[in-house]
Parts: sequence; structure tokens; C-alpha cells
Amino acid sequence: METQHFSYDNKIVKYFAYATILWGVVGMLVGLLAALQLAFPVFNFNLEYTTFGRIRPIHTNAVIFAFVGNGIFAAVYYSLQRLLKARMFSDKLSWVHFWGWQAIIVSAAITFVLGITTSKEYAELEWPIDIAITIIWVVFGWNMFGTILRRRADHLYVSIWFYIATFVTVAVLHIGNSIELPYSWIQSYPVYAGVQDALVQWWYGHNAVAFFLTTPYLGLMYYFLPKAANRPVYSYRLSIIHFWALVFLYIWAGPHHLLYTALPDWAQSLGVVFSIMLIAPSWGGMFNGLLTLRGAWDKVRDSATLKFMVVAVTAYGMSTFEGPMMSLKWVNSLTHYTDWTIAHVHIGAMGWNGFLTFGMLYYLFPKMWKTKLYSEKLANAHFWMGTLGMIFYALPLYWGAVVQTLMWKEFTPDGLLAYPNFLETITQILPMYHVRVLGGLLYFASLFLMVYNLLKTAASGKCADNEEASAPALHSPKKREKGEGLHRWLERKPVQFMVLSTVAILIGGAFEIIPTYLIKSNVPTIESVKPYTPLELQGRDIYIREGCNTCHSQMVRPFRSETERYGEYSKAGEFVYDHPHLWGSKRTGPDLARTGVPGGKMYKTNVWHYNHMLDPQKMNAQSIMPKYPWLIKDELDISSTPAKIRAMTTLGVPYDEAPYPANYDQVANDDLKKQAEEIAADLNANGIDVTSDKEIIALIAYLQRLGRDISVKE
Amino acid sequence: MDNDKYIEENKHLISDHDYDGIKELNNPMPKWWRYLFYATIVFSAVYIFRYHVFGDDLQIAEYNKEMALAEANKPKPKFDENALVLMTDADNLAKGKEIYDKNCIACHGAVGEGNAIGPNLTDKYWLNGGSLQDVYQIIKVGKPLKGMLAWQNQLSPEQMLQVSSYTMSLQGTNPPNAREAQGELVE
Repeated sequence: METQHFSYDNKIVKYFAYATILWGVVGMLVGLLAALQLAFPVFNFNLEYTTFGRIRPIHTNAVIFAFVGNGIFAAVYYSLQRLLKARMFSDKLSWVHFWGWQAIIVSAAITFVLGITTSKEYAELEWPIDIAITIIWVVFGWNMFGTILRRRADHLYVSIWFYIATFVTVAVLHIGNSIELPYSWIQSYPVYAGVQDALVQWWYGHNAVAFFLTTPYLGLMYYFLPKAANRPVYSYRLSIIHFWALVFLYIWAGPHHLLYTALPDWAQSLGVVFSIMLIAPSWGGMFNGLLTLRGAWDKVRDSATLKFMVVAVTAYGMSTFEGPMMSLKWVNSLTHYTDWTIAHVHIGAMGWNGFLTFGMLYYLFPKMWKTKLYSEKLANAHFWMGTLGMIFYALPLYWGAVVQTLMWKEFTPDGLLAYPNFLETITQILPMYHVRVLGGLLYFASLFLMVYNLLKTAASGKCADNEEASAPALHSPKKREKGEGLHRWLERKPVQFMVLSTVAILIGGAFEIIPTYLIKSNVPTIESVKPYTPLELQGRDIYIREGCNTCHSQMVRPFRSETERYGEYSKAGEFVYDHPHLWGSKRTGPDLARTGVPGGKMYKTNVWHYNHMLDPQKMNAQSIMPKYPWLIKDELDISSTPAKIRAMTTLGVPYDEAPYPANYDQVANDDLKKQAEEIAADLNANGIDVTSDKEIIALIAYLQRLGRDISVKE
Repeated sequence: MDNDKYIEENKHLISDHDYDGIKELNNPMPKWWRYLFYATIVFSAVYIFRYHVFGDDLQIAEYNKEMALAEANKPKPKFDENALVLMTDADNLAKGKEIYDKNCIACHGAVGEGNAIGPNLTDKYWLNGGSLQDVYQIIKVGKPLKGMLAWQNQLSPEQMLQVSSYTMSLQGTNPPNAREAQGELVE
């Protein structure tokens, strides 16, 4: 067979590697700021651009899509070329992919700072950026498949199976969850509402974890771990079983984010059982990784690269056991809405994704620059400091979560909540938030040991942008050969492989999502639930803009401890006009689902809301809520009202039926002004000097509407 | 890797698997791993049957039972809420003050003088009646639209009587910075 000569594109790998380092530093710095804000609210700086509600999505998106994203691409571009014995399909596509992705990251940061967000977790980006992501993702997939089709290696290695599953599933999830109707050149409402929006969102959200943070990193592990350890992969059979089981089962588990909510019981139960069934397939990956090190454990003692990888894989094993446990309803009733979730995801992000990225970088730099790592000692210091940081980050949050959830649920012998004031439960765990800052700081600071070490390493060698290589041409007969196993055959049929993995991931989503549309009983209609008034709608968009849902849920679960604290538990039919749903996933502040019910347990007067938004610490010295002075100063932009009303009408909100007049979008602002004046008059009567055209008025109108429709007793 | 004894001697090595130098073994899947997988599948089947075929309690039924149990265990009130007796002993008044200091100061001032939010509690003018019965009632059910909470969600009947009695004891104390009189004169 003739030997063909070609070259690997190292330059693109180098760029993605630098990008993952840069965005890692940025993303974790913003995370540190977020942690500081929760411990000391003064770090919100009283500025709209820097409050926690806007900072938090910057942190999560930067770490997931910028740090891990570029990490994925560095790994794929390096390993794919070598596993397939081929240069990337098109250099042009590679660079469009690189610069396109960085442009998306920058535009994400800018829009989040400006409060432009859809509110949907890990899918906060607005529609123009969603389209850009779709295009760049397709460019990535095109480039990858082009390379696969032009490969010289006959069979696709397990890493590439994971890359393929990642590509198709992320595409399906991203497009499925981002179907939205623009009402301006930058903003939109999702087509889904309430329960359906929540289900689609967590089908996406959960599988973003699965197919952005997990499957590509398993692919990464399968290449870099055996390479760094110089050991064969433990079990090919296990690879096959755990790969297919993982991609098929993962997609069903999304509803475990919505246990005890208004989501229909059958969907919740599917979320529970599929999460439990995920334990073994996930652990299959962990064991194939750890057992690959059999006979190489002496190397682990000396090599920081391997240490990082071992802890990463162990953290993966821990998270993928903890996750299914948190999906059991009784465990979830304790951990949900608390910092347990935050600790859990950080074991995944810092341990699995972070450490695996670091391990890969320590392997990659000496290899690409054809030199030795500048300092193994420094890399070991990074490892220990990072590990310590992780421990100091997670342990206090686990502890705090247990303390807080028990306080939420405790009753006195008289049958009253032992801690009726939500703030008491935050004040109690505030010291844990302080320790968490320390843990985050350690982890963040340890990064710089790596940056210095890698820069020194690069300076001591030379990276060839094009690395010469040679391999025999592809030999892949069309038909299955005699004695060739079915899966072995599939491994040299990339198109069939892709189709099959697509089918595997579509089944779960279709099974769960389609019935909630088709079966009416899943969302029972409630007569008294009416669309928002134009002012409330504007207020709701301010609530979204400020990211109130990052700290306040709107979902009272059917527990005595919640109905005693917040009021009637939430019903599916209450959310039919909520584009998007704002159920939230964390309670750093109390639930607001019933805050508008007059005489309800959570009711506050207009004056209270006004004073509280202006300066929460003046009302409760220990409150950790940011101040929102700009809401009081800034005028509400009502020019957007007609477009918003039209968009909502298109989405099925009945502004086009009685009692609304024809062409309601044109006169909606009359209603808006009338309602605003009523609220302003009430505030004025209570000694507050405010005019009816301010943003605060709309926000108060929205808050006073929450939960009212099914419990008005005026 | 080529001269690695471990590999050479390993009977599970698949000879034709070589990906950029990565070799693969074909060890059997650990037995307990397989059993773990089977066990989770059995768990799932049992779970679905238990809740969706045999009809064990789903969340709303669970909630209704929890509430019924709480109702059944509710302690009996120690006194008749319609025939209250003013507490005058130092112990109960001290407890009443404690409750007042924790919950009422924000709106009614440190010693009942009132502030921009809540009315003066030390004068003879009352917005919602000035008898012990009236004061107890307003503390119990509140006046939510005006900002007064319904304290029955947070205080036991005994505690409400203690703070009511303490409030009555503030009558005529003439504190400094008192808010102007509101409501009806009650002699």
C-alpha cells in the first residue's frame, strides 16, 4: 500500500488551547466575583451592569461555552487529526470556527452585561447569537465530518464516537430549545410557555451538561489518558456498551430538574428512573479510564498530568453518582433550590472539566512545542492547590445546604415554621459563603501557576504550525467482511454511525416532550388565569433583564413547609401565558410565586417593594440582595409595548379576543399608563416621591400580579 | 509502548486495534458493573409500576396526607381566643417584649412610638380598636394591604397574647419622637 504524506494543523490547536486558558481565567474571575457578591453584597457595586443577576450567567456561560468549549475544540482538533491520520478537512472552516466562536463569546459577555437575556439557564443568549451559534456549530460539524470522510484510518476510535454524538445532540438541543419569536432586532419570547417551556428548557439544560460537558470530555479522556499513561484502553467492550447506553439514556433524564413542580407526575417519574439507570453507563466511562491506568500507577505519583486526569475521572464518578441520588424525589425535596446543587455542579466543572482540561494542556504543550514541561514541580503545586480549592469550595456549600434545608423544613411544636423569616436561613449559612470565596480564590489563583508554566514551556520549544505525518491510504470495503463484528463494521461507517446515534438521542426527547403538547390533561386549564397587563408584561421583562430568577424561584412545591411559608402550591395551569417560564432553580432569596396574593403569606405593599428595591439593607441589615437604584431613576421604555403584545398574540396569548379591543397592541399603552398611575398614586399617598413613568412601577405591577389569579380574595 | 511487557503478555489485547498508538484490550466488563446496571433497570421498572400502575401516592396525595397529619397533631389552644385575659406578670411581659423587639420594631419603633410605616402604639388613638381583643385580632390576622402581617403564621396563640399584653402595657408611656395620633380615641 502506498504511503501518503500530509501534515497536521497544529496552529488551530494552539489557538484553541490559548483561548481555553484565557477564557478559563476570565470565567473563573467572574465566578469569584459572583461568590464575593453572595458573601458581601457591596461587591454588586450598585451598578446595573455588575449585579449578581447579570454576573451569574456571564460566569456560567464563560466557564461552559468559553473555557470548556474551547477545551473541547482544542482536544477535537488535536486528536481527530491524529486518530484519523488526516489533516482537518478545511483550514478555512477551522478558522471560521475559531473566530466565530470567540466572537460569540464576546457578544455573549456584552449582551449579558447589558441585561439582554432570555432567562433560560445556559441558553440565555438572544436570538441573533443563537443563530450565530447554530452556524458556527454546523461549520464545526462540517469540518469534522469532512475530515472523517477523508480519513486514512479505517475505523473510528471511541473518542470520535463521542465527538459525533456531541455534534448531533448539541445541534438538536440548541435548535430545539431556542425556537423563539423575535419582538425586536435583538430580543425575543420563546414559543413554549409554562410547563412546556420548563420541560424543553431542562431537556436542553440537563443535556447541555451531558453533551457539552460530558460526552466530548469522555472523548478527550479516551485519547489523552491512554496517551499520557502510555497504556492500552482497558475494555473495548465496555466502551461500546457504555457509549450507547449513555447517549440513549441521558436524554430522558431532564425532568429530574423539575421534581415536585407542576410538571405532570409521569414525566417526573421518567426523569427519576432514567437518572438512576445512568449510574452504570457513567461509571463505565470512569472505570475504563481508571483501569486503563492499571500497571501505570507508579507514573501517577510523578506526573502532574496523570494526577489531574485521575482526579478528574474520580470527580466524574462522584458527580455521576451524586446526580442520580439527587434525582430521587425524597433527596431532591431536600437538596433542590439549595447550594447542594451549586456544590454538585462545581465538582463537575472544577473537577471533571477543569482538571481534565489542565491535564490535557500539560500533555499538549510539551508535545506540540517539542520540548519538556518547564516545571513538573509547579504543575504538582497547581494540582494540590487546585484540589484544595475545590474542597474548600464544595464542602462549605454542602454543609450550608443541609443546614438551610433543615431550617426551611423545621416546625415548632405549635405547628408553626421554626424559621418563618427566610433571611434567618441565609444569615445562618453566610459564614459558609465566606469560606466558599476562599476555596474559589485558591482554585483561581492556582490557574496562574499553570499559565506561567505553560508559557515558559512554549518559550523553551518551537511549535510547528504544520506537523509532517504519513500514513497508508484508507482501506474500507463497502460491505461487511467475513468475521467482522457488527459494531466493528459500524466503526468504519461514519454516516450510519451518526444516523444511529441521532435516533438514539431523539427517542427520549420525543417520548417526553410530544405528549405534553398532545395530551390536554397534562396542563389543565384554569378559568381565572388571565394574560398579563401591558405594564405587568413590561415589568416581567425587567425581572428577566435583572436576572431576578437566578435567586428567586416561582414554584411552590406541594410540601407543608412550603405552603405554610409561601402559600398555595403552584399549578400547571397558572403558567400558560408565561413565555418564558420563570420557575428558577435556586433560592438565594424566597420564592415569589405567591408574592402578589393580597393577604397572602408573601404579600408586601407597593411601598415595601419600592423601598426594598432601592435599598434592601435598609429594610433588613443582613440581606444579601443587591440594590437596584436605577429602576427608580430610569424611565420605562413603552415604545416596545405594541411589538411585545403582537408577539405574545402570535404565540397564543389571547390579546386578540374579548375583553381586549381590536388591535390591542395599538392601545395597550393606554392601559399601561392607567395602571402605572394607580400604583404611583398609591406610592405618593404613602409619602414616596415618584412619577408613574419609571421602571420600578412596572416591576411592582408584575410582582403584585404573581400568584393572584387562582387566589384572589379581594 | 511496543516493548511493554504488560501489553505483550496480555491475553485481552486486540491485535488490530491501533489508533495513533493507542491500543485496546478487550477485558470482560466487570461483573458487578453489569449487575449494577441490571439492578438499576429493575429498580426503574418497579418504580414505574409502583407509582403509575399500582397507584401509590403521587405528590399531591402525599401532600394531602402531610397536611392532614399536621392538622391532627395541632396542639389545642390553652385559652379561649374569644375571652382573652390580659397578662400582667413580669415573665410573660418580658417574653412579649422579646417578641416585640424581634418582629415589631421595624414598623412601630423601638418603644412603640411609631414611624413612617406603622402607627404609634403608646397613645390612646387606635386604627383598629384598642381593646386587648382588638389588638390580639389585628396581630393575628394582620392588615396585609397596609403592610401589617398576619402573625398567626409565625407566632403561637400564647405568643400573640404575650405580645398583645406587652403592647397594652406601652399605653401612656409618652416616648420621644412619637408619631401623630391616628384613628379613633379609645378611653
